[in-house]
Amino acid sequence: MENILEVNNLHVSFDTYGGEVKAVRGVSFDLKKGETLAIVGESGSGKSVTTRAIARLIPSPPGRIKEGEILFDGKDLAKLSDKQMQAVRGKDISTIFQDPMTSLNPTMKIGTQIMEGLIKHQKMSKSQAKERTIELLELVGLPSASERVNQYPHQFSGGQRQRIVIAIALACNPKILIADEPTTALDVTIQAQILELMKDIQKKTESSIIFITHDLGVVANVADRVAVMYAGKIVEIGTADEIFYNPKHPYTWGLIGSMPTLDSTEESLVAIPGSPPDMLNPPKGDAFAPRNDFALEIDKELEPPMFKVSDTHYAATWLLHEYAPDVEPPEAVKRRMKGFANTGAASSGEGDQA
Amino acid sequence: MSQEKLLEVKNLKQHFKTGRHSVVKAVDGISFDIYKGETFGLVGESGCGKSTTGRSIIRLYNATDGQVTFGGEDVHGKKSKAKLKEFNQKMQMIFQDPYASLNPRMTVMDIIAEGLDIHGLVNNQQERKARVHDLLERVGLNKEHASRYPHEFSGGQRQRIGIARALAVDPEFIIADEPISALDVSIQAQVVNLLKDLQKEHGYTYLFIAHDLSMVKYISDRIGVMYFGKMVELADSEELYKNPLHPYTKSLLSAIPLPDPDYERNRVRTEYNPADHDTSETPEFREIRPNHWVLCTTKEFEAYKKEIKN
Repeated sequence: MENILEVNNLHVSFDTYGGEVKAVRGVSFDLKKGETLAIVGESGSGKSVTTRAIARLIPSPPGRIKEGEILFDGKDLAKLSDKQMQAVRGKDISTIFQDPMTSLNPTMKIGTQIMEGLIKHQKMSKSQAKERTIELLELVGLPSASERVNQYPHQFSGGQRQRIVIAIALACNPKILIADEPTTALDVTIQAQILELMKDIQKKTESSIIFITHDLGVVANVADRVAVMYAGKIVEIGTADEIFYNPKHPYTWGLIGSMPTLDSTEESLVAIPGSPPDMLNPPKGDAFAPRNDFALEIDKELEPPMFKVSDTHYAATWLLHEYAPDVEPPEAVKRRMKGFANTGAASSGEGDQA
Repeated sequence: MSQEKLLEVKNLKQHFKTGRHSVVKAVDGISFDIYKGETFGLVGESGCGKSTTGRSIIRLYNATDGQVTFGGEDVHGKKSKAKLKEFNQKMQMIFQDPYASLNPRMTVMDIIAEGLDIHGLVNNQQERKARVHDLLERVGLNKEHASRYPHEFSGGQRQRIGIARALAVDPEFIIADEPISALDVSIQAQVVNLLKDLQKEHGYTYLFIAHDLSMVKYISDRIGVMYFGKMVELADSEELYKNPLHPYTKSLLSAIPLPDPDYERNRVRTEYNPADHDTSETPEFREIRPNHWVLCTTKEFEAYKKEIKN
């Protein structure tokens, strides 16, 4: 399937009084048409910074894209001027932010906020834009839309506000939708509704979604492919089935092991010890090594390259090197892998389609 | 597990006045018991009154109506200063937001030792220091951390400080109000494991309030589900997950996303519509089978009984 976006060796840094914080250190991936790519990782892993760099929403100074290309539609977004970028942002690439309580303007009617993009990018007249706004609100499932366009954000609940934010993001039929933890602030039942809505809309509009979250349950629900980030790098990337049922990187093991399933028994959760590294001085070698029970001697010296597991599955860990010792993943992860071995053939077939 | 009741909540009501004529019934008549040494989980969506319940139990709010007895004594009754102090020592709380619940101007040593000082549990500086160091180690920090300030710690570490503070006075009962919601997944597991280990060692009783159902199921012995200020279902955690009866519990369970793509592809979500209930009479809390309680009317009671037999 054709790539709609290609990110090559992206580096993003922030200049602070303490020195240069290297938030993203060489991230490469591509996004295919109509797929959902989930980026997971803990806070500070650089997942939000990566996508903000794509939408060119990094405030500069202090932030800057140091190196790398973001290829979209034959253009390198990293090199566009602010003015040129304005024609892309909101039209071809739009973002849904985490907190629906703060991402809407409290002093503007919600209808006006949705119409903004339509008038600017689609060159619609006011009345056309209003009509389209009502359509959009109906699309995202807001009841009695024609009356509610004239209301203000505080008159809506959290779930409804997130629907409005989604309507704004969808207004110009974007090719890429960046969803930065769109459901983290919501209750599970509302979360389920919003996820269903996003999948529905994706089917209708065939847009590609980059979905950022730290909830692996949500990832399993929405993602075709998953990229796991740690300390500003992608440490593992593959189809959802590969990441959940055949994870290779110890950090992915830790993430999966630390989430209880409903049938987990008394044994304790696999916690990842310690805390994330300080990105002012990223450690030498593999950044995850100090927290990694499976770290090898070489991890302290040399950063592992991406090893190929399958055509779609890559992981950056020395454990995949031919000279590496055989290591057994933790029990909680192995239990999931067993399921994969049984249905392996069938699932990987599905992965190709996606 | 011993079946000795540590805490009894009877028809607890907590109403807040929000204007001259409007009242928010945050908690509207709930009853449950917590046994010694168990973990009782309380779940529900935001605004269902689960945090208010916790706060009323520990007397942060004065209950509007109903009774809370702890170790045989009424919590909300009139108490002498000495009695109140004794009660405060036995019941402690861990708060949700580790960024807001620690005083930024106090060192970790003073934060943890505050309770020790108030209750006169240490006699001199040395003892105080030794106790704090011991507590820090118990929660997985080290004694060098004692002289630092909260802003020098990460979220997970701060939550550990909050836990150490709660443990300092040797409580019997700890209310944990969403202790992991503000933390990263990998750190959540650390904190949950810590709480479990501490319970094994010291026999604490927990009231664990959360909206993350898979975590609650993992840590709790029994779970109560709340909806709009009412307890709608209460059962052992295994039982609740295997045989949910109340439609709200079912919808809540069906909404949890699980880290398993195969399961997620085939998941069917059920939606809860409060209007579907039998409205011929006011529902009551009834025991469907031993230790499994559901809020229902007589008609529904029969239906649930039939359902569970199959």
